[in-house]
Amino acid sequence: MNAARHSAETVLEASGVTMVFGGLTALNDVSLSLPEGRIVGLIGPNGAGKTTFFNCLTGLYTPTRGAVRLRGKELPHDPAKVTTAGIARTFQNIRLFPNMSVLENVLVGRHIRMRQGPLASLFHGPGFRRDERRAREKSLELLEFVGLRGVEDEVARNLPYGDQRRLEIARALATEPDVLLLDEPTAGMNPQETEDARQLIFRIRETGISVVVIEHDTKFIFSLCDTVSVLVQGEVLVEGSPDVVREDPRVIEAYLGKPREEVEAEVAEAAAHHGADHQGPAAGRRDDA
Amino acid sequence: MTRLTGFLPPALARPFNAVGAALLVIAALLPWATFLLNDGAFPDKATLQFFDAPLAVTGFRWQLLLIGVAALVLAFVRIPGQGRVLRALGWGGLAIGVVGAIFIASEGGGLGAITAADGTTAFGSIVAVLGGVALVLGSTALGIPDIPDWPTRFFGLSGWPLRLAAWVVLVVAFGGVLYLVSLTLTAGGIGGAADPYAGPIFLAFLGFAGALLGALHGAGVTRWVSRLSEEHRGFSILVLVACAFALPFTEAGSQYWMQVAATIGVYAATAIGLNIVVGLAGLLDLGYVAFLGIGAFVAANLSGAGASALGWDLPFPVAALIAAAVAGVFGAIVGSPTLRVRGDYLAIVTLAFGEIFYRSAQNDIGELTGGASAIPGIPPISMFGTAFNEPLELFGAELPSGVLYYFLIVLVVAAIMAVFANLKNSRMGRAWIAIREDEDAARAMGIRTGKAKILAFLVGATLAGLAGAIFVHKLGTASYESFQFLESVTLLAAVILGGMGTIPGAVLGASLLFVLPEKLREFDEYRLLVFGLALILIMRFRPQGLVPDRVRRAELAGETAMGKSIEEAEEQAVLEHEEALSAQKEDRR
Ligand SMILES: Nc1ncnc2c1ncn2[C@@H]1O[C@H](COP(=O)(O)OP(=O)(O)OP(=O)(O)O)[C@@H](O)[C@H]1O
Ligand SMILES: [Mg+2]
Repeated sequence: MNAARHSAETVLEASGVTMVFGGLTALNDVSLSLPEGRIVGLIGPNGAGKTTFFNCLTGLYTPTRGAVRLRGKELPHDPAKVTTAGIARTFQNIRLFPNMSVLENVLVGRHIRMRQGPLASLFHGPGFRRDERRAREKSLELLEFVGLRGVEDEVARNLPYGDQRRLEIARALATEPDVLLLDEPTAGMNPQETEDARQLIFRIRETGISVVVIEHDTKFIFSLCDTVSVLVQGEVLVEGSPDVVREDPRVIEAYLGKPREEVEAEVAEAAAHHGADHQGPAAGRRDDA
Repeated sequence: MTRLTGFLPPALARPFNAVGAALLVIAALLPWATFLLNDGAFPDKATLQFFDAPLAVTGFRWQLLLIGVAALVLAFVRIPGQGRVLRALGWGGLAIGVVGAIFIASEGGGLGAITAADGTTAFGSIVAVLGGVALVLGSTALGIPDIPDWPTRFFGLSGWPLRLAAWVVLVVAFGGVLYLVSLTLTAGGIGGAADPYAGPIFLAFLGFAGALLGALHGAGVTRWVSRLSEEHRGFSILVLVACAFALPFTEAGSQYWMQVAATIGVYAATAIGLNIVVGLAGLLDLGYVAFLGIGAFVAANLSGAGASALGWDLPFPVAALIAAAVAGVFGAIVGSPTLRVRGDYLAIVTLAFGEIFYRSAQNDIGELTGGASAIPGIPPISMFGTAFNEPLELFGAELPSGVLYYFLIVLVVAAIMAVFANLKNSRMGRAWIAIREDEDAARAMGIRTGKAKILAFLVGATLAGLAGAIFVHKLGTASYESFQFLESVTLLAAVILGGMGTIPGAVLGASLLFVLPEKLREFDEYRLLVFGLALILIMRFRPQGLVPDRVRRAELAGETAMGKSIEEAEEQAVLEHEEALSAQKEDRR
């Protein structure tokens, strides 16, 4: 593995996360560690359990087994508390507050960083106004940061698709997280927007935030991430640097949709024959997008 | 951009508009009933005797004449928002015609009453209906343009002159509102035996007022005034409160109407409280009137009324605060199941709570409510050595008894409005709206949704409790019968009808829903029917409510904030999305 990786402190550590829905094991003993200031990619076919994993990390789901630690402290199973602790996320199917303005969406993101008791909300004293002004300034800075300055009074639902995704990122950043979880941030974007998103994620990392990204676009993931984990049928199949993952035949096969056992059998066979096929990374387009 | 929604080709717009307008004018000059109704001449001599004084056009026919003449002019003179203005006038004329036709036909013995019978003819209402329909068709064929935007800096003015000009506009506008409110309250007189035609005259007047406001709105005037008032917020509030205080000095300043206005005020205050729960936090509460009741019974027990179980005699402000606090505590208690249940289930929990309260009060549980005999003899509020039911002399004018309650409730409503506006534009208010919009996303922003929801219930219930304390003193009796499920539904209807999440909406909705029963007293058995019908019509044609929130307006009126229709915007979004995807595919090959 990357030598530099060991020097960075681990921010987020998930160990042995297992999630069972009735009879379905969506996640089986999944572990992941996110070093400070890194971008980790999470890929895998549809239904592999990627989003479920995010939901376990953020407390939306209570995992059947396993624990999530942020800087060594175990996280509670309550999304609000997890966010306060320093993890922010976006959603695969954009979940903005559609009828609020762009600025208000980001202001809601500032919720936990604002100091306004109910009484201050009632009387709007000088302290309230100072707090409100600061929150507005911060939010506008964030909108500037993601490239949405100038549309702050627009209603969120009227934004073009790509801008909605960027707004969701700005809203998540407004919570001042240590860790940002992005669930398919470029789904439905055109190449230019995808490239902008890539640059944006780099800039987010520069501010000291560590990032986990789920994406189907493998080209995007491999050019963005420091390490990549591949999730197949709820289990981590491969983990490593993009170069390692890209060349791994199991990943290639998994992306073609064969069951895990079959893939593993083939890998064993391929190893025996020394004849791994060189198709290059198969484009993991979602067939339902 | 102009939407073409008409059934007619644009070429027919002008002829239809002109003919429609002309028909409205003619209808105003025709007799409306072929014979005398039992209770005397149908209002404003629209009967056979009419020809004794052919030009004595008053009342609803005078209003129809105004609408007709205005439409006739506007059919030929281009103004901004023309289609909208004409359409509003058309609907107004149609409403007046329909109300008159239905009333005369049902009271006067069928179709003959509004057509021809006994050798006489009276086609007034029919002609009015035809004219209204023609005008609506013609105006929609003309196209419904966007509401024109007027600049808030005008005549090249700036600095002090501009401010002064804006103030003059605001004073005139709010003065106009005051005049309209006074006219609306008194239109048709008191319902019941005293004024048997109060119902139809009032409804016809609503048609006229609606047409007027609709036309002003279509021409961009109301939006302009509301922008001006936003820019001069402090001054607007001042003028608005002054106008409210001026109402007793108008024609509506009789004892009866002051009492009605004060009652409306109580319900408006309650509706604003409910608007926090329903409009902001999106929590459907079907038992809300229980909090009004809790406030009322607490205040009754602290009023020194001989019939109350507790019988304490506290000064009103103290009693009111306690009543509000107790209601607030109950609000928090009722709100706590919201942590577990969502949506429909919550509605059922609140419904059950409302019923529990009603039944408990009916059965005098804890002997605090007086049960079926109620708590009578609650003394009037008395502050500064004045009992609030005394008449008052102010600026040389004799104000009737009850006017002090009206003044008090105006102040309370103003305070509650301020509370609502402040909360809405705060961290808490945004959290509520976020919960309404998407609860999971709100939690992902760190919002403790449980606490926030309980707080919404608590604040809403507190405001209702406060309103209840005034209510019970004004009424003099605290009876469980005032707090039935139907009242909860009416309050909810007021909020939805007026426009969810807005203050003027809640006030307007409450006013309409609580004035109508007064006016329609003669039709007691049909009252709910008319009510229901009106609600259905409004929900069908104006789902965003009468005074919509900025955003809900965009969402429900088929217009986006950028001025596109929603279908169009969505279509475009889909196209863009598909384009993006195909570009992506291209890229990958
Ligand atoms: N709340 C739930 N209840 C039951 N089953 C669930 C639930 N959430 C997810 N699942 C199941 O868990 C599996 C993993 O779903 P998940 O959404 O995590 O996949 P994913 O990797 O994000 O897929 P995609 O690429 O399509 O987003 C699926 O079979 C899904 O049906
Ligand atoms: Mg997913």
